[in-house]
Amino acid sequence: MNMPIRIRGLSKSFGKQQVLQQLDWEIEAGSIVGLLGRNGAGKSTLIECLLGLRDAQSGSVQLFGEDTLRLSEATKARIGYVPQSSELFQWLTPRQLMDYFRAFYTRWNDVKVNELMRRWELPWTQTIGKLSPGQKQRLSIIRALAHEPELLVLDEPVSSLDPAGRREFLSELVDGVIDRKTTVVFSTHILSDLERVAMDVAFLKDGKIALQQPLDSLLEATWRVTGSQAQVEALSPRLVLRSQVTRQGETCVLAQFDEAVLQELQASTSLRMERVALEELFIEVTR
Amino acid sequence: MPEPRQLPADMLHVNTGGHEPIYRQLMMQLQRMVAAGQVSSGDALPSVREVALALGVNPMTVSKAYSLLEAQGVLERRRGMGMLVAAQSSAAPSQMERLNMLRPGLERIAQEAHQLELSATPVIALLRNLMKGSQG
Repeated sequence: MNMPIRIRGLSKSFGKQQVLQQLDWEIEAGSIVGLLGRNGAGKSTLIECLLGLRDAQSGSVQLFGEDTLRLSEATKARIGYVPQSSELFQWLTPRQLMDYFRAFYTRWNDVKVNELMRRWELPWTQTIGKLSPGQKQRLSIIRALAHEPELLVLDEPVSSLDPAGRREFLSELVDGVIDRKTTVVFSTHILSDLERVAMDVAFLKDGKIALQQPLDSLLEATWRVTGSQAQVEALSPRLVLRSQVTRQGETCVLAQFDEAVLQELQASTSLRMERVALEELFIEVTR
Repeated sequence: MPEPRQLPADMLHVNTGGHEPIYRQLMMQLQRMVAAGQVSSGDALPSVREVALALGVNPMTVSKAYSLLEAQGVLERRRGMGMLVAAQSSAAPSQMERLNMLRPGLERIAQEAHQLELSATPVIALLRNLMKGSQG
């Protein structure tokens, strides 16, 4: 079976600014991946290159085994995209927008569209230009879900929504999307939402996917260990995320350890071991 | 056979922003409820989907917690009835198991004590005092 997303050596720069640098990335079918990175790290650029909305300088992107710049109509119909913000179709009403898009797809779930329009209290006949940013975002989500895509790509899907709106969106994702084994890739800054739904997290840093791991194992295997330099250097982590010297002259590493090593470490009385939350991991990994 | 008591999905809850993965939070809550006798053998767990919707979490996470608890013998899968609280093998969980349930809270205390530059001795003394008090 063809992977929903396979990227090899993707590079993209704007003028002198290199945004993506020889980036490799693979997403397996059925995974729910949260894409994290600091402001300006290039998350939107990556998403746009991945969908063939932007030309890259080099590298290849394949969606379901096809070159993203030459997707067949059948493959396009398997993909749904929610942009960060959209200033398109401002003069249409939601009714006209849905009618327009429905014509492109062989599959279109009218029941779902009507239900979400009603549940999210969107007006059918108001011009889109007059909707609030939150309403536009909801509309964009409904449009992307309507043809029941197998790959759903969302760029900051909840940035304009209040906490209640985000929760409703998450419920929809849980209920209608994850249930159908859809592959979902979404960028976000809201770590609490990501924690609730993502199975994997990918960190974009310096133009590359610096780390991608199941969220559970990321939280369980990563520890901050503090002790004397000699002691800490004698450890055998399988991955070091960060290492620094504290004000007290101790050495402190943020690292991942195998289960057996961890048990040994926890028995040690001279090392200080602390677990870390996702927010701190985000700060350290993207530093 | 009596109709099993149906446990509500909102007996579970999750906290985000901590270091405990959500599936572990769910497991520990259920283990504590079993240990404390809040739920008893034969009670029916809410379905994976109900919990996922009520808590706004990924159904795969709920399913992972249920499966691991099943492997531990805390829950059992009964055809046509979903997940039930299993007949517990021993009357009470071992001291080690109960101690492990305290671990997350104690880890937080250890971290806070360190931030406050308190060594273990006075913290343990305080804990001992508090526990004496609660013995009544």
